[in-house]
Amino acid sequence: MTLDEFRRGLDAWLDEQADELAPRHGGAGTLDEQLAQLNRVKRLAFDAGWMRWGWPERVGGLGGPSLLRGYLGEALISRDLVEPGFASMHEVLAPTVIDYARPELAATMVPRFLRGDENWCQGFSEPGTGSNLGSLTCRATRTDHGWRVTGQKVWTSLAQHAHRCVLLTRTGTVESAHRGITALFVDMDTPGITVRPIESMHGSPEFAEVFFDDVAVPFERTLGDEGQGWSVAMDILPYERSTALWHRAAFLRRRLEEALAAAPGGALDPAEVGEVTQLLYAFRARSRATQHRFSSGHRLGPETSIDKVLLAAAEQAVFDLIEKALAPAIVLGDDPVSARWRSEYLYSRAATIYGGTAEIQRNIIARRLLDLGADR
Amino acid sequence: MDRDDLDLFEASLRQATERHTGADLDASLAEVGWHDALATDVRAGIATLFTLQGRANATSTALDHVVLDALGISTEHLRPVWPPLGTIARRPATVYGGRVRVDGLASRGVTETPRVAMCVVVASDGAKDVATAVPVADLALRPVGGIDPSLGIVEVTGDAVATDGWPVDWGDAVRRCRLALGHELVGASRAMLDLAREHALARVQFDVPIASFQAVRHRLAETLVAIESAEAVLDAAWQDGSADTAAMAKALAGRGARTAARHCQQVLAGIGFTLEHPFHRYFRRVLVLDELFGSARLLTTALGDDLLRTRRMPPVLPL
Repeated sequence: MTLDEFRRGLDAWLDEQADELAPRHGGAGTLDEQLAQLNRVKRLAFDAGWMRWGWPERVGGLGGPSLLRGYLGEALISRDLVEPGFASMHEVLAPTVIDYARPELAATMVPRFLRGDENWCQGFSEPGTGSNLGSLTCRATRTDHGWRVTGQKVWTSLAQHAHRCVLLTRTGTVESAHRGITALFVDMDTPGITVRPIESMHGSPEFAEVFFDDVAVPFERTLGDEGQGWSVAMDILPYERSTALWHRAAFLRRRLEEALAAAPGGALDPAEVGEVTQLLYAFRARSRATQHRFSSGHRLGPETSIDKVLLAAAEQAVFDLIEKALAPAIVLGDDPVSARWRSEYLYSRAATIYGGTAEIQRNIIARRLLDLGADR
Repeated sequence: MDRDDLDLFEASLRQATERHTGADLDASLAEVGWHDALATDVRAGIATLFTLQGRANATSTALDHVVLDALGISTEHLRPVWPPLGTIARRPATVYGGRVRVDGLASRGVTETPRVAMCVVVASDGAKDVATAVPVADLALRPVGGIDPSLGIVEVTGDAVATDGWPVDWGDAVRRCRLALGHELVGASRAMLDLAREHALARVQFDVPIASFQAVRHRLAETLVAIESAEAVLDAAWQDGSADTAAMAKALAGRGARTAARHCQQVLAGIGFTLEHPFHRYFRRVLVLDELFGSARLLTTALGDDLLRTRRMPPVLPL
C-alpha cells in the first residue's frame, strides 16, 4: 500500500461514511462524549482496515510505512471527527509497547487500543518529578510473586478512563537516578489504584492524579528489562514529537482557516495573520520532513525538540490570533461553538508546558544539537 | 545530480566561496561549472551556492544568472535590473508611450562595460510581463555604499526608447531569487550562530564558560530553531514549486536572520560590536538581503492581506 493509494482509498471511505462517522455531540462535547466518539471512529476505521495500516502484522496491523498513520490522523482531524490530542495517544504509547513488551502481550493488547476497545495512559510525571524525570520515586518492589507498586503519579491524561498504564517506577535506589527506573504495563483495574481527576482551566478533567497503594503487577508486565525504564521513556519522547505533532498541524490549520472565515472585517492585523500563517507552515514543513525521515527508518532523536518548539510557538500564535478574531465569542459566548473555541484557546496555553516544557526543549537543543556542554 | 555528484559540487563551491569573493568568485564559479549546473538542476545550483555564499560572507553576481536563467536568457553580456526596495509588486521598469522608464537595482556586474553593454528590464504591459533590452549607456548607474558596501549594489535609473520586448515569466524569476536569497540568509545565520557558539564556549566568566548559562544557551537554541524553520519552508518551496511558499520561505529566512543577529550579537557582547570581529559583516549583509526582492515585513503583510481577502489558507504540500 503506497501513501497515494491509501490517501485515495481513505478519502473515498471517509466521504462514503461521513454520516456514520460524524460526531454525535455538538461543539467540543464533554470528555466522555469525545472519548466515545474517538473510540467509535477508531473501531470503524479498524474494521475497515484503515486503522491497521502502518502497524506491524504481529500486533494486528497490515504493515506498510508509518506515513499511512500520519495521513489517517491528519484526515480524521482535518474533518473534525476526533479530538486531536486523544486521537494521537496511540501514536505515543503503542510503539513503546510494541518495542518493549513481551511479543504475546503486545499482540494481545495493541489491537485493543488501536480498535478503540481500550484507552491507555502514560504514568510518568509525579508531584516531585516534572522536568527532572530521573528523580521519580513511585516504587516497585520485587517479591516472589511479582512487583508491588506504591507511589503517586500526576498529569496522567485520561487515567480515569484508561484500561492500561505505561508506568515508570523506581526499582533502584533514588541515588541511582535514571539507571534505577523500570517501566511496567499495568492494568488500571488492579486493586490499590485510585484515580482523582483534576479539573483544568480549559474545562475538561483531562488529567488525573493516580495513587498506587501496594499494587500487584506480574513480572511478565515489565516493559524491557529491570532498570531499562529510562530507555523506554527516552524512546517514547520522539514518538510524542513525530506523528502526534503532524496530527496537531492538521488541527491548527483547520482552526486557523475557520477563524479566518469567521473573523469580522477589521478584527485582524494583516501582518499578524501573515506571520501566524508562516509559523504554522514552518511547523508543518518541519514535521512533514520528520514524518518522512521516520517512515524511511531513521531513528528520531533530540532534533525533534525543534519540532516541539515550533508546535508550541505555532499553536499559541494561532490561538492568540483566534482570540483576537473571535473575542466576543471566546469571552462571553455560552453556545457550544463559543465554548469549543474558548476551551481550545485555553488549552493552547499548555503547549509550552506539556511533553517537555519550552525551556526543557531549549536545554536539549543547547546540549545535544549545539553541543554547548553541561549547564550550570 | 545524484548524491555523489552533489557532494563533489558542494565541495568545489565550498572551496570557491571560502577562498574568493567578488569578481574572483565569479571567475571561480565559471571554472567549476556552476552556470551549467544551474541550467540542469536549478535547485542544486541555487541552494548549494547561495547557502555557502551566505556562510562565507562572499559576494558574486550569481543572482543575476538566476534571473537570466529564469527568463530564458543565456548570454553573458546582459545584466538584469532587480526591483527597487520597498515594494513587492513593482517591476524594475515601466513602459509608456514607446519609452521605458527604469528604476531598480543591479549587481556590480552592470558596471563591467564594455563587456556588458545592455541591461534587460522587465515591465508589465498590463496583461503580461515583457522584457526589453536597454543600453547601459542610456542608464544612470550609481554605486551604492550603504550599510554593506562590500555587496557592490548599483542603483539603476533612466529613461530610454523602448525596443521590441518579449514576454517572460517574471514571477518565476522572482520566486527563484527569493529562494536564492532565503538560502543565503540561512547560510549567513548559521555563520552568526557558529561565531556566537564558539565565543560562548571560549569566553569564561565567573570561572565557567558563558555557554553554561541558561540565558545564553536559550538564545542560541532560539537561533537554531529560527534557522531550521526557515530551512524547512525553503525545502517545502522547492518541492511544491509555488511562488507563495517561496515568498513564505524568504520571509521566514529574513525574519530568522534578524532573530539570529539579535541573539548572536548579545552573546558576543562587546567584541561583536567591534570591527575586529567578523560578526558585523554578516549583520550588514542580512539586513540588505532581507530587503532584496521583498522584505520579510512586506511579504508577511502581503500574505496577510491576501488571506483576509480570500478567507482561505493557501494550499499545502501533502504528506
